[in-house]
Amino acid sequence: MTDPMLPPASTAMGAEPVIPAASPPDRPSLPPGRWIRENLFPNTRNSILTIFAILIALFAYRGLLNFMFSEERSWIAVRTNLRLMFTQAYPEHQYIRVWVTVGTIMVLAGVSAGIWARWGGVTVKRLMGWLMSGGVLTAAGVLVREPSVLTDAAGESVRDDAGELVRESFAAAMADRWVWWAIAIALLALGLVLWTSLDDLRRRTIEIPVAWLIFGLPALLVASTWVVRYGHYGFTEGEFIAEPGQLVAMTTRVPWTFMWLILVASFALGRAARDRAIASAQAAEETPNGGPSDEGADDDAVPELPRGALARTRTSVNLLWVLSPFFLYWVVMRDPEIDYAHVFSTMLPMGLAFGAAGAAVLWLLTRSDAGEVGRLAAIGLLLLAAFHWVAAYFGWYSMLQVARIAFLLLAVAGLLAPNFAGVAAQRRRLVGAWLFMVLIAFYGATVINSPSTVETPTDMFIGGFSVTLLVSVLTIMLSFPIGVLLALARTSRQPIFRVLSTIYIEVIRGVPLITLLLFFSGVLPLFLPDGMELAELAAAILGYTLFSAAYLAENVRGGLQSIRRGQYEAADAVGLTTTQRTGFIVLPQSLRVSIPPLVGQVIATFKETSLLAIIGLFDFLRMANSVIPNQSQFLGVRRENLLFVSVVYWVVAFAMSKYSQRLEQRVGLGQR
Amino acid sequence: MSTQPAHGDATIAVSDELAARDDMIVCREVDKWFGDFQALSGISATIKEQEIVVVLGPSGSGKSTWIRCINRLEAHQSGQIIVDGIELTNDLRNIEKIRSEVGMVFQQFNLFPHLTVLDNITLAPIWVRKKSRPEAEELAESLLERVGIPEQAQKFPGQLSGGQQQRVAIARALAMEPRVMLFDEPTSALDPEMIKEVLDVMEELARSGMTMMVVTHEMGFAREVADRIIFMEEGEIVEVGTPHHFFTEPAEERTKLFLSQVL
Ligand SMILES: Nc1ncnc2c1ncn2[C@@H]1O[C@H](COP(=O)(O)OP(=O)(O)O)[C@@H](O)[C@H]1O
Ligand SMILES: [Mg+2]
Repeated sequence: MTDPMLPPASTAMGAEPVIPAASPPDRPSLPPGRWIRENLFPNTRNSILTIFAILIALFAYRGLLNFMFSEERSWIAVRTNLRLMFTQAYPEHQYIRVWVTVGTIMVLAGVSAGIWARWGGVTVKRLMGWLMSGGVLTAAGVLVREPSVLTDAAGESVRDDAGELVRESFAAAMADRWVWWAIAIALLALGLVLWTSLDDLRRRTIEIPVAWLIFGLPALLVASTWVVRYGHYGFTEGEFIAEPGQLVAMTTRVPWTFMWLILVASFALGRAARDRAIASAQAAEETPNGGPSDEGADDDAVPELPRGALARTRTSVNLLWVLSPFFLYWVVMRDPEIDYAHVFSTMLPMGLAFGAAGAAVLWLLTRSDAGEVGRLAAIGLLLLAAFHWVAAYFGWYSMLQVARIAFLLLAVAGLLAPNFAGVAAQRRRLVGAWLFMVLIAFYGATVINSPSTVETPTDMFIGGFSVTLLVSVLTIMLSFPIGVLLALARTSRQPIFRVLSTIYIEVIRGVPLITLLLFFSGVLPLFLPDGMELAELAAAILGYTLFSAAYLAENVRGGLQSIRRGQYEAADAVGLTTTQRTGFIVLPQSLRVSIPPLVGQVIATFKETSLLAIIGLFDFLRMANSVIPNQSQFLGVRRENLLFVSVVYWVVAFAMSKYSQRLEQRVGLGQR
Repeated sequence: MSTQPAHGDATIAVSDELAARDDMIVCREVDKWFGDFQALSGISATIKEQEIVVVLGPSGSGKSTWIRCINRLEAHQSGQIIVDGIELTNDLRNIEKIRSEVGMVFQQFNLFPHLTVLDNITLAPIWVRKKSRPEAEELAESLLERVGIPEQAQKFPGQLSGGQQQRVAIARALAMEPRVMLFDEPTSALDPEMIKEVLDVMEELARSGMTMMVVTHEMGFAREVADRIIFMEEGEIVEVGTPHHFFTEPAEERTKLFLSQVL
């Protein structure tokens, strides 16, 4: 619970070793034996409870191990189908696109981590705890797992006369598992050696940078693929390959090694950018905040520097994150075949016309004397934009979808215009934003409407984990603004907004997600205007978005209600408009308050994408549950896949939840 | 007000019929109800440019309600309030205009906890006054200097003491370069040892020629700094006078009773 932004404790002491504020220095840690006695077996009652709990845990552990290592398991199904589960049947010769996508995500993740992350360190004590627990768990596993079934010369399981499987003796089993014993002993020994070679203060104060762990463990994994013979399994051009004792295929090893390098390099790049910005800011300020300069202090003490070059870098990285799904999905994965004749004859001229005309309109609307006339004009634009959609519904006249969208965007920009009025720099900013939006809209429309050149056996070229990821990312990105708007509407003073948003939220929350999905994939197309089609995937994303927005809205509303009246009054008193008050004062504070429920909703959305199977998409779960069990080689193999899929879901969800905890701590500063 | 042109920014005219030229705040027969409860009844008062007016009165007498009506944090139901020649009506533009001319300091500071001190101060100048960021920051730094805490610019409000927070709040209000400053019990939430540092800032502000309306229980400040004292009770103005008159020869029984309780 150290406050990362408060430098006092760690920097003021200065002398090394730096004592983290979280652990009071005067209470030495107990030796393991005493710790166990005092915490697990302090008195009879607790001892009984402890033993009981340990027995239950061991029982469950044994069940899991017996399941995983049973001779009946065919993990080979999972190993063979890894690519299928993550990318469905993406064509082999186009696989470079998958790697470009993963690589882009690695670059963004690495740079973002470099710029933002304040990971800090893990004390040696905790590390030793992990090592020793790992050793104990491994040893316990070796002991509790049932002895293996004997096999005959042909590799068949041996059965006795009653048809029961014959297992080796306990002693033989223990001897057979010598590798595991070695691992257990190595872990325990490493932990103990570290323990005895350091005194207590050092154990609690020496820290291993978390970055080492975060990059080091994948490094070990990647490096091991070059050495350890994991075996080579897969479907290559429809051919089933199973080569136990081989190294992992080159086409797996090399790209992942690259990915790791890219990740680390981008991290270093982001870190360097951050350090340079901080250094130049400190040089400019001479003595920052009158405190002793905190050189040598770890990442936690670096003050936030929201301005200047760093702020610009952060904004652009954020923007790239927002744009990347659209770019990666529609451009990289889909490889659209763009009809250049249409682009030059229609899209380009139309885009230019919209850009120029819109810029002129916005320039007029942001004149300092636009006043009430300007507001009326913006409302007029909104009505015009709305009319185009109504007309589309009744089929009065035809118009490209992108034009309708552009009109709508212009109306929104027009409504925002008063906030940018008067000052030339601000006016230019609004016009620039408009031109950027036009560019995105027309480019996006061109790309989306071009047919894909990627050929797959099914009509979907994306499936498995990628579709799970795509749907969750787009859903979260789209539902967030909608949710915030709904929450604002529900707390607004305008009764009409309040009523509409309340009805919407309550209706959606009262309907099962499945019905919404079925509705959007099956029923909605009947209601759509002429000539408008909704791909299955888009329908699914729409359904998820509308569903998730209602829940997000309720979470945001909780945050909105926690803002005290004084904040509104202070914002009013300095003359902020309602929009500015909402954007600068109310929303930032309420979103901070609602981080835990918001992340909860994000995690729920991610998990609920497993319902995609019901409307016919091949998501991650469906691959495991119905695609693999139908392959001729692995008929009926299902439980292994399900376990694997659950672990992947869990890892992602757990990472998000951990991240949210850190985020909460970090922004906790603003709240007194 | 119907004579005003419907557009333009510099066109809200100082009309002579509304108020004299050096009248900064004019209240005429202002009434304010909260439901059935009348919080202000028939408040009439004029505050001249550069005048320091202290409003005294027992708790619940309507001091806050009145001062909050002046920048429209509360809406009055009848009577006229004219600030710097602009009458407060439901017209949003008038309200925005007046709010940017009137600075307000609250009892509970009401700083924005998620913004640094510097951002607290520069937010409104940048977005309402349309100043550039460097310009606004320069202004903020000079104001922080003026209220005596130049070294706290990068901290968050939660990291400051109450007295420092209130001084930041004063700087935030001053950053809008207001023509009037309203103070609603600025020292009531402070520990005794911090009261003086805030009062010192307010005194300096008064000497610099700012028009100020101050609700306070600090009798010393009222006696030393005020040009006039207005005494309120139960939503009415009971007595108005110079500090000398007020503390030595109050005319009204209710004033005497109040003074005997607080002095
Ligand atoms: N929002 C409100 N709703 C209802 N009554 C209010 C409200 N604000 C103030 N009052 C009442 O109006 C009266 C005057 O309050 P106030 O102006 O805060 O007094 P003072 O600041 O002089 O202590 C009090 O009786 C108070 O209870
Ligand atoms: Mg009060």
